[in-house]
Amino acid sequence: MTPLRPAQAEDSILGVAPRWVAEPATVEEAVETMRGCARDRQRVAFVGGGTDLGVGAPPAGLDVVLRTGKLARVVEHSPSDQIVVAEAGLPLAALQRTLAAHGQRLALDPPFAERATVGGIVAANAFGPRRTRHGTARDLIIGLSMVRADGVVARGGGKVVKNVAGFDLPRLFVGSLGTLGLITTVTFRLHPLPEASATMTVARPTGAQARAVVVALREAQLDPASVTLLAGPDGPSLGVRFEGFGPGVRQQVERLAGLGPALGLRFDLLDGAGAEAFWARHELARTSGAVRVRLAAPPSAVAAVLEGAVGPLTGGLGPGWATFDPWAGAGFAGGTPTDTGSAVEALNRARRALVALGGSLTLAAAPPGVRTGFDAWGAPPAAIEVMRRLKARFDPEGRLAPGRFVGGI
Amino acid sequence: MPEAHVDAETRELARQLAAVVGEAHCISDPAELSVYECDGLSHGRVRPRLVVLPGSTEEVVQVVRLARAAGVPIVPRGSGTGLSGGARPTTGSVVVVLSRMRRVLEVDLEDGWVRLEPGVINLDVTRAVQGRGWYYAPDPSSQSICSIGGNVAENSGGAHCLKYGFTVNHVLGARLVLDGGEVVDLGGPAPDTPGYDLLAALVGSEGMLGIVTEITLRLLRKPEATRTFLATFPSSDEAGDAVSGIIAAGILPAAIEMMDTLAIQAAKAATGLAWPEVGSILLMDVDGPLAEVEHTAASAIEIARRAGALEVSVPKDEEERQLMWKGRKSAFAAVGRISPNYMVEDGVIPRSEIARVLREIGRMAAEAGLRVANVFHAGDGNLHPLVLYDARNPGEEDRAVRLGGDILRLCVRLGGSITGEHGVGAEKAAYMADMFSPEDLETMALVRCAFDPDARFNPGKVFPTPRLCGERPGPYRPHPAEVAGLAERW
Repeated sequence: MTPLRPAQAEDSILGVAPRWVAEPATVEEAVETMRGCARDRQRVAFVGGGTDLGVGAPPAGLDVVLRTGKLARVVEHSPSDQIVVAEAGLPLAALQRTLAAHGQRLALDPPFAERATVGGIVAANAFGPRRTRHGTARDLIIGLSMVRADGVVARGGGKVVKNVAGFDLPRLFVGSLGTLGLITTVTFRLHPLPEASATMTVARPTGAQARAVVVALREAQLDPASVTLLAGPDGPSLGVRFEGFGPGVRQQVERLAGLGPALGLRFDLLDGAGAEAFWARHELARTSGAVRVRLAAPPSAVAAVLEGAVGPLTGGLGPGWATFDPWAGAGFAGGTPTDTGSAVEALNRARRALVALGGSLTLAAAPPGVRTGFDAWGAPPAAIEVMRRLKARFDPEGRLAPGRFVGGI
Repeated sequence: MPEAHVDAETRELARQLAAVVGEAHCISDPAELSVYECDGLSHGRVRPRLVVLPGSTEEVVQVVRLARAAGVPIVPRGSGTGLSGGARPTTGSVVVVLSRMRRVLEVDLEDGWVRLEPGVINLDVTRAVQGRGWYYAPDPSSQSICSIGGNVAENSGGAHCLKYGFTVNHVLGARLVLDGGEVVDLGGPAPDTPGYDLLAALVGSEGMLGIVTEITLRLLRKPEATRTFLATFPSSDEAGDAVSGIIAAGILPAAIEMMDTLAIQAAKAATGLAWPEVGSILLMDVDGPLAEVEHTAASAIEIARRAGALEVSVPKDEEERQLMWKGRKSAFAAVGRISPNYMVEDGVIPRSEIARVLREIGRMAAEAGLRVANVFHAGDGNLHPLVLYDARNPGEEDRAVRLGGDILRLCVRLGGSITGEHGVGAEKAAYMADMFSPEDLETMALVRCAFDPDARFNPGKVFPTPRLCGERPGPYRPHPAEVAGLAERW
């Protein structure tokens, strides 16, 4: 077994301290660690870059934290097949640099790319503004290898994009928050780096106007890479990004600008620095605040999301930010509340509004006081019993990230 | 077990099932049962015990409960067009045919989805919304007859999944009837339902987790423009180079299809198309916003020419375009025109290996004394070798089966897969062990056990060795059959 070192304060997960930390240098060492944990009945949680540890509930108890940071190799990159196999602890930005040298990218852009690891991104289902066109890890993952709670090494999917052999373990691990097994390598399909990119913004749109822009984009058969409503201290703005070949991007920019008058809106085309600043603000919105939440709702409900969820959150969490992708129906809000009681009240109100729309609100970060009054996941989903049965099959002793997931899984 | 006893048991089950679905929808007559002995894969027929055609989720629940009480396996079935024997009955099973459940329940173009029953035919989804400029993207070649329920079971693809993804990328929600008769709803119109992505596990599970009785599908707005071209090449080497060049140029076509000489001959015989009998044909679609499409189509054509295309033709109108696609989509059936019998294979290789693999398949075919026609989705390396044979010649069918297996193993050796879209079913379960370790298979089976611990649904498919789930998770307890030495434990 890899040597364990005694845990320090910074190894805690949401205030729950492990006794030991393992930092395996190879997949083989990680397997050894998992076998040791199985033999000694140790409860274990996995940490990559630690950028999304606030997602979910605190662990019910913890003996070992397994850090994947040294499992950071690109195992295989085949530019002509547009796939990459990477070890779980590889930071996204490092991966993107390798891929960019071949004119390719992984079309996932969650925040903290320098620290967020590919395994962690998969486990936490982290995503960014390019979700509009490219979806989430679920849409890009094609293979995965892992170590089960009992130390058995297994693999699902493969190295080709098109493959329906066997049950879909890779997608099942997306968003499973380390409760089913340790992800050791992930295989993704890749996309070409776009030749051109352009961002247009609308200042101070209402929710209804943001919705009208989505409908107009669709009716005009445009193909945006990102659509995001960004609400911050300076008021809301809407950003639309096009990516592709030069002529295609130029034409889409012209077409969208031309739609402005009918919508009663003005689309401003940002220059390179302006676009960079806009998406940097977007990232800031995703990552600032002591309390952060993920929002989901049917995309057409953007106005109701602003009114029923973002409104109360901006009030109750103190001055902060929110983003919502009115094309995909997913967003974020955050702030640093001065008063726990009103923060919890705002969270409850926002959750009720989203659930009523058929959506959800889950915690992505919160101090202990807020967590005491507000469940990270909310009411268990309809299929919770099947989820419990799944967890019981993969981890019968309940040793992997116990209590972190929905319904106390 | 004495025959008369089985019959009495079956008669009683038939009576109970008929009380649920109606006499007309419960089939026990041997001649009528024979229709359901196989799906699109016609060899290895098994006659089911009974066939029922329920008309609602409630009826499915009752059917499942009755089958469970009788200890009888259930094989779900859609249109029966699958090519891997996924809907082939298990001995003694009740086949549950979902084709009567074919209502489109709700269309929401605000959020771009449709909720429907599993028996709805794939192409009918697009037909229901195309008047308003929308469509359903996955387009298996059988789309005019295959059902959405079957597409969900097999995670069906199609030519255009290169750009648009597979069924799993387009299913937003599903209603599932489990072995205990419980009804669970997964997913929905809002993204990111908290919890495990059970929907992703369900799509492509080949009918082994339960019976899907409702499905919510994502619809897409039709692209503004589509440009199609057909390029001919002296051999698949140049065609393969063209595909690699197009991908390397950063172009993501909606589809790139490749056919070799034999497949071209077959398609011509079936459709009367005036294609030249060259070494290889590429048929390609690019779609999206107009300027993007014009730019990428022009680049792709230039790349094809540089790679050695003999001729590049662009359809003059939509009718001619549809005809080109008809030639491609009818290729499987068309092979029947040039050979008394044939087997459709479905392997995947890394795209960059196309030319090498085709040469190798040619060599293997020559060695086996057989012909192989190749039709495939070149953009994602999904090969459909059609192994031609004449069953009247002694030993030829066996040689064809062996050659098919050897081709799949070649795909695995090169880092590919034994199936890109047809599923494992009954036909390819034996090859799963070439692609996955016992531990991989055992782990996949954990998913099966979580949903269906008694292996009620479609037993004997996908996994090479039938095994039992532990009775319940937790401390190890030997299963009675294991004690009796009849089975291994998971």
